[in-house]
Amino acid sequence: MTGAPPRGVARRSVLRGALAGGAALATGGLLGACGVRQDAPRIATDDRWRQFAGATINLISENTAPTAAIAANLRPFTDLTGINVNIVTLELSALVQKVALDLAGGESQYHVIYADPYQVLAPYSKGLVDLRELATQPGLPEFTGWDDFIPTQLDAAGRFGDRDKIFAVPYDCPTMIWQYRADLFDKYGARMADDLGFDPTPGLDRTWDEYLRIARWFNDNADEVAYGTGHQAKQHDSLMCDFSNVLWSYGGDYFDNGTEVGLYGTTDPGPCRLGSDQAIAAAEFYQRLLSIADPSSKTWDWNGLAPALSSGRIAMCVNWHEYAAANEKAMPGRFGYAPLPRGPVRSANHYGGCGIGINGNTQPNERMAAWLFVLWATSTQTQLANLKSEAGGGTPTRQSVYDLPEVRAAEHRPSAMPNILAAPAVVTAWQPENIGLRPKIPMWNECDTAVYTQLSKMLAGDSSPADTMRGAATKIDRITARGWAA
Amino acid sequence: MTTTLDAPAEAPVRNTKPRKRIGFHGLMMTPGTALLALLSVIPLVTITAMSFSRVRLLGGVVFDNVGLTYWARLFGDLDLWVQWLRTIAFFVLTVGLEMLLGLGFALCLWKLVRARNLLLTLFLLPMFVAPVIVGLLGRFLTDSTFGLYTWLLGLVGYHGDILGGGTSAFLAVVAMDVWEWTPLITLVVLAGLTAVPQSIREAAALDGANGWQTFRHVLLPSISGVLLVALLIRSMDAIRYFDIISVTTNGGPADATKTVPIRLYETAFRFFDLGYAAVIGLVMLVVTILIARAFVRVLDRKGLTR
Repeated sequence: MTGAPPRGVARRSVLRGALAGGAALATGGLLGACGVRQDAPRIATDDRWRQFAGATINLISENTAPTAAIAANLRPFTDLTGINVNIVTLELSALVQKVALDLAGGESQYHVIYADPYQVLAPYSKGLVDLRELATQPGLPEFTGWDDFIPTQLDAAGRFGDRDKIFAVPYDCPTMIWQYRADLFDKYGARMADDLGFDPTPGLDRTWDEYLRIARWFNDNADEVAYGTGHQAKQHDSLMCDFSNVLWSYGGDYFDNGTEVGLYGTTDPGPCRLGSDQAIAAAEFYQRLLSIADPSSKTWDWNGLAPALSSGRIAMCVNWHEYAAANEKAMPGRFGYAPLPRGPVRSANHYGGCGIGINGNTQPNERMAAWLFVLWATSTQTQLANLKSEAGGGTPTRQSVYDLPEVRAAEHRPSAMPNILAAPAVVTAWQPENIGLRPKIPMWNECDTAVYTQLSKMLAGDSSPADTMRGAATKIDRITARGWAA
Repeated sequence: MTTTLDAPAEAPVRNTKPRKRIGFHGLMMTPGTALLALLSVIPLVTITAMSFSRVRLLGGVVFDNVGLTYWARLFGDLDLWVQWLRTIAFFVLTVGLEMLLGLGFALCLWKLVRARNLLLTLFLLPMFVAPVIVGLLGRFLTDSTFGLYTWLLGLVGYHGDILGGGTSAFLAVVAMDVWEWTPLITLVVLAGLTAVPQSIREAAALDGANGWQTFRHVLLPSISGVLLVALLIRSMDAIRYFDIISVTTNGGPADATKTVPIRLYETAFRFFDLGYAAVIGLVMLVVTILIARAFVRVLDRKGLTR
């Protein structure tokens, strides 16, 4: 039967149909994905805080204590504005990747960005909004609070290059300070003073050399702790942070005009100065210090070091001040906080604070809604609420919060705000003469890796302090010579 | 009278070789193959273009052509060559140990009569754990303050910090990979051993072969194909080993565990030096393909790819 018409649908027709259907679906999907993005609706209202009610904004942040506190208490913001906020918290390097890819994609999946000065602000400042424009925009809540932020923090966390622009509002302010077992210093203070020949009380009067001698004394004389000091000397960002305190205190620096480069940032920092005699002397001291520290220091970053102190393994350490709350929780009332010891030149306390900024790809209304969140999240009342938060909370970046009577009162034990116990130390640390600022350059991540890799080799005994510093300088020069194109 | 007959006109030579046609099965596979090709070709072309470009991210991805700059940098990058040597050392150690231990454990399990399934189930557990979790477990177990392994090593006189020393950290991450993936080799080899015909083994026994001779001349040749497949699977993975190192040492101390995948990740997603990362990635791809081809060629010679 050759002439009979085929029954039903031919196999070939089915295949063609399926192919056409698939292609249509794929094209539709692609076109849909490429569609024009909708801006957030703006409501006609006299209430400047509620004009974007119903909008949703996304915040991407490092998994830090202030964001944990804000995430736990978003209700006041939603009640005030009607804006929904989604918070994504990530480890810093994952955050940097997401932000870079989001900026490249141009979609502004994240409206508010936790802008680490060295990994987000410096390389991608052109992708962030100049917040001064929003601060003075008619129709939005008036903002005149720039002067209330601690000046060194506003410059370091908020600006890059152009001093007239502000890309981020200071949001957190972790700073490296001397954390110690006050109970052991009380117990052994007199004996230690007799043995060592100086008053061991931690503070700006102490030198790094005295710090080392105190640590060694604890190694030899105190049964309560296994070692006098511990450090965050894992091959990690933490190692650069830890070493930099010593470097600056010895008068060394990464580049000429280190303070300027740290405060305002640059894309062309000039030749690296790690090969200087001061930097080499700092490295020699650091190697000596680590030789008497807890041997586990070489596997600790800041998260490894903090439990070592709070669990009673070591008598003192240099770590970010926001670990004070965890210390107080572990052994209430037994810890003390002081600025870091002096080197031959000064005391340098590494500042690691960050700001929050707004994605430059945002639509006009989204941008304004995001600004409302930035205003609220960095306001005096929110910073005070964070300080009291049981979810963690950081320490304020506004001077007005430190001036509040209840905050001043909390600086003494028993304190309902344990992180503020470190306030006298950090306020001293933030003074221009005491603050330590790493270079704010777009290629810092790669330079940082070169520094901590060389230091790790030195601590492993693979290279001398002089070779370490010169090697790091050579690498950094090679990296900065390539320049930066965002 | 002679008659001359014309030679018959030469018939046109017909190509008797059947024309290659895609056929029904080929046609059915075409959409899938095309999609796979698309998914592979587009990234490959992009990454190749990237290796000749400086990539800018702000305002949309832009490739600025820089010619052979990054390829030239590759040859002068001494750190990268050291990292390649380290990767090869890591590759040889992990895959070698896994093959030896996997073969040994498989032979032991094969000989077991009772509780083989129970033991095999327990034995396979590490394989089901995500590598990141293995890294975290390893980090906790080797922690210098509370780690179980640290304590055990302390009992036998080793008081160093396992992840703090270059050699010990390298050996520790090797051990973690071996712990996780030896069971896979065991499973594959066990499957091969159970497929060896009993008649051959009986014949060997009748001929008076001892245990070693049976293993060397009967079992090993019978499972050599399976061993090669296991080797191929693990090799592809070992050369890209990333998770455990990333979680435990992140390349330290003193770069002792910084392998090429760690360097690639660092270059691409920490430094956003995407052009140079593309070069490192392409070299890794070529090395992986070469290793795979070498194994496939051996399998082919044994007739195991058909």
